[in-house]
Parts: sequence; C-alpha cells; structure tokens
Amino acid sequence: MIKPLALRTWSFLKSFQLTIVLLALLMALVVLCTLAQVEMGTQGAVNAYMRSFLVWKHFASVPFGVPVFPGGALVGLLLTINLIGKTLDIKLSWGRSGMWLVHAGLVILFAGEFVAGMMQVDTQMSIEVGQTVNYVQAYKNMELAVIDVTDPKWDEVYSVPDTLLAKGDPIAIPGTPITVKVKKYFPNAELTTLVPGAEPSLATAGVGTGVSVVGIPVVSADNEMNQTSAFVEFTAGGRSYGTWLASVALGAPQSFTHEGRTYAISMRLRRQYLPYAFTLKQFRHDVYPGTQIAKNFSSLVQVVNPSRQESREVLIYMNQPLRYEGKTFYQASFGKNDTLSILSVVENPGWLLPYVSCVLVSIGLLVHFAIVLRRSLKRRQDQKEG
Amino acid sequence: MPNPPTSPRSKYALPVSLLAVAGVAVLSLGCRADQVAHYRVPKEAAASHPDHPGHAEESMAAPAGADLPAPPVPTGQGALKWSLPKGWSAQGGSGMRYATFQSPVAGKLEATVVVLPGPAGGELANVNRWRNQIGLPPLDEAGLAKARTVLKTKAGALNVYDFTSDGQARSRTVAGYIATADGNTWFLKMTGDADPVAKARPDFMRILESIHLD
Repeated sequence: MIKPLALRTWSFLKSFQLTIVLLALLMALVVLCTLAQVEMGTQGAVNAYMRSFLVWKHFASVPFGVPVFPGGALVGLLLTINLIGKTLDIKLSWGRSGMWLVHAGLVILFAGEFVAGMMQVDTQMSIEVGQTVNYVQAYKNMELAVIDVTDPKWDEVYSVPDTLLAKGDPIAIPGTPITVKVKKYFPNAELTTLVPGAEPSLATAGVGTGVSVVGIPVVSADNEMNQTSAFVEFTAGGRSYGTWLASVALGAPQSFTHEGRTYAISMRLRRQYLPYAFTLKQFRHDVYPGTQIAKNFSSLVQVVNPSRQESREVLIYMNQPLRYEGKTFYQASFGKNDTLSILSVVENPGWLLPYVSCVLVSIGLLVHFAIVLRRSLKRRQDQKEG
Repeated sequence: MPNPPTSPRSKYALPVSLLAVAGVAVLSLGCRADQVAHYRVPKEAAASHPDHPGHAEESMAAPAGADLPAPPVPTGQGALKWSLPKGWSAQGGSGMRYATFQSPVAGKLEATVVVLPGPAGGELANVNRWRNQIGLPPLDEAGLAKARTVLKTKAGALNVYDFTSDGQARSRTVAGYIATADGNTWFLKMTGDADPVAKARPDFMRILESIHLD
C-alpha cells in the first residue's frame, strides 16, 4: 500500500509535467516579485517572493497571514528534486556523460541559490574621503549598541540585535553587570516633541523624557528606513539607571556610569566590525563630456590589515569588486558632492557555485555535442560502407 | 558499466536527505542573529554619521536611510530664525535635522541645524562628540570653558566652539549651542575640510549672530 504510493509520488516528483508547472510558477513569481518591488523594495520583495517557501498575504478581515502562492524556495526545492529524479534516470554510460555533466551543473546552480538565500549576508560600507572605516552595516536591521567608552583607546561594543529586543525578555549583557529590560519596542515609530498635557514619556532619563513615541507600520522600500525605537531600562548591581529612549532618530549622546565605567547607548544600523580597515583615498565620478551621464565611479581605498601585516591600495570600480576575506566589496553608490562612497558588501559562502555550474554545463554540452557528432559521423560512414 | 541505482529505497534517500539538510539549515539560520555580540574596537577617529545614524539625506543615492519622517521640531514661538548672507540658502531638514544650509563656498563642507528636546545629553558630551568626529580627544569641563566663546544674540547667549583637527587632511568644526526657554537645545554646526570651512566661517558667524526667536 505504502510502497506503490511512494513510487507514484516519486514518479510525480520527477515528471516532465511537474517541470512545466514549476517553470510556469517560477515565471509568474518573477513577474509578481518585480511588481512587488515598487512597494516592498528590492530586498523586501525578494525575501517575500523568492526566498520564502510560501508567499503570505495579510487580509484586513483575517487576523493572521494566509499563504496565497508557492514561494521561490518551495518551487526551487521541487525543481531540484525533479531535476535529480530526471538525472538519476539517465543511463550511467560514457555515451550519456555529457547529459550527466549538464544536469549536475544545473543541480549545483540550484544549490548555489539555496546557499545564497540562506547564508548570504548583504551589508554596506559608507566611507568619506580621508575617513577610515573598520565595519560594515546592515541595510535595514538595527542594534541597540551599549558601548563601554571608559578606556581612552578602546571601546567595548555590545550589540543587542533588534530581533532580541522585539522578544521583550530581559537581556543580560555578557561580560558586564548590565541587564537591559525592554519596556516597549517599536520596529518603526514617529517621534514628536512631548507637548504639555500629553501622556508622559516612558523614559525617566535622557533625551527621551521630552519625546513622545508613536508606533507606525514597518517600511521595507529601498529608500525608506524604519525609525526603530525602544524604551529600555538599564540595571546593574541591583540598581536601576532609569528608562531611556533609544531611537535611530535620536542623535544626542546618552550615557550612564556604573562603578566608574561609562556606557554610551544608541540605536543604530547593525554593525559588523572587521579585523581590517579601509581608508578612502580618492573617489572619482566621471561623466561623459558635456553630459551628466555617469561614465565611471571608482573608489581608491587603502586596505590595512594588521593581522596580515598588509597595507595596500586597491581600486574598486564598476564591475571590478574587491574580494577580500570572504566578502565582496562592490562600488554601489555615492553622495555628499562626490566625497562619500558607498560600497555594497556581499558575503556569500556559495559564490563559487554558479561559476562551477556554468563550467560544468558548458563542458557537458561540449561533450554531448562531441558524442552526438561522432555518432552521426559514424552512422554516415556506416551508410556509405553499407 | 554499472546501471544507475534503481531500488526505491536508494532513490528516496537523496531527496529525503536534501529536504533534511534544507530543514536543518533553515532552523539553524533562524537562531543565528539572536545573540548579543561583543567587539573590542579602537575609538573611532571620525564618526561616519555625524548627527544621526540614518544620515542619508546628504547621500544622493543612498541605499538605505533616506526620507526619514518629519522631525519633532518646535514651531511657533519656540523656533529659531536667522538671516542668511548673500549666496546662502536653507532647506528644511529631515529626521532630527531642522535645516540644512547651502553655502556658495566650494569644497567639502556641511552646515546644519539640529534641534533636540531637553539638554540633549549636555553641552560637554555634545562638544566632545563633535571633537570625536574630527579626531580630537575629549575635553573636560575646564577645557570646555576655555574653548567656549559666548555670542550675545536676540535668542539669548549662544556658545560657539571652533575646532580644527591635526594631521595631513585637516577638518574643522564651527558650532553654536543654545538652549531655548521652551526646553529645547539647538545645534548650528558647520563642519568639513579646514580650508572651505575657513572661507565660509565669516558668513556662518553672521548667521549665528542673527539668530532670534520666531
């Protein structure tokens, strides 16, 4: 009973009919994802349509999300299984070696997209001319940075991710006596000056005592940024240091001192510090003569890595990224009258897989062509002789 | 030449293990980012984002952070006003930025007005933040008093600071700090390369001298 059912399922999974349906779904997903980018932004749409197993929609009448379409991850997974099933059906012989290589290449291509979808980390690095930067920062994700600034040379940076703040549980900062209690967390908020008669602020210390915070819907478009904010209470050694408002919209420095150590607090884009630093020596923005049409953007950076005793100049320009220590730095944008360069930083452990796939598919097609040609020539020869 | 595996058991093994690997990967990635991270880093010589981390309104095509919602700015009697010298213009700001000045001086230079409710962390902390942004060490209270020049304006006493960094590429910050009667603190700051800031300074000082309440 179970065996025939399993066999039937397996035959369905590797059928050509399923291939056609899945390819059609993939095409529909590409169109839907492209259209969704208008409202959700590139990353938001890719995450919702391509890198999810199901596409969820929220309807006003239903309190929870409803799956409305298979996501790219589900379609991709089924296509991979379908392809593997088809590949296993190919006879294992020298005559079919080209087909094996082509199919193996395609499977690796699909696997590469899964690795990218699950493990790729996209960040950016903004550097002004003359400035040295030793961190990359997220596009959207935030962190509550609690920084021990006591040492005159070093900062001890403790980064509490927004995802942890959203859970609302008390957060002990390892290596310090500090505990952060999240009183209220806003993924996106609007800040206004507290007017007389309004409900008092939750903050009891810092700038936040004079600010009113109202939660607003989260934005995901490329040119919008959530004003992530939180009322957080800091306690250490059984003593409370008050409830503070930490918000991306606040630039004012806020800090408290516990047992001689000063801790600065701020909400900011999530940072990842690097064991090396980039100094932007020159930024060029060339245009075609007589026009404002961009011809070239390039950043001349000095890469300094003490652990490798390395200090060298690198020119990063369009289509010529720098691959360094597992990260790829692309010239992405610029600003501030051409004195600010923005590098898009991609960390993808599977970046080689598409190249491997292309090579395998190319070799496979060549091998298959050679085999078919040889067979065809042999047939002609046989016909002549016959 | 051996044939491809044909027993159903071995045929299911590959897709089942693929699904298992994908499932484990999804679960492990789900837990990945939810931990407090710790870094020991050298003190920043210059903050990349002087007044707020979004800091994208200066960037023409910044990938993130543009179009912050309207700031919590005072209007009516609490708001500061100023007169602009010839060639200067002002634009309304975004985020906590109240306004941005455009100067006719070429070069790397930025002049802004930021307003924050309350003492905004205090004068010493803010002045040290500005010094940190151009790579200067912090001051103590005595050093702050020494660096301060008080300018009498129609809006009250404005504390003015002027710092220039050392080194080959010198940066300079000229900033005014004033607390208004409604409890807000205003920062009028011009920062950039030392040469253009020096050229624009006389005009910027005229703006500072002209401030008054609406």
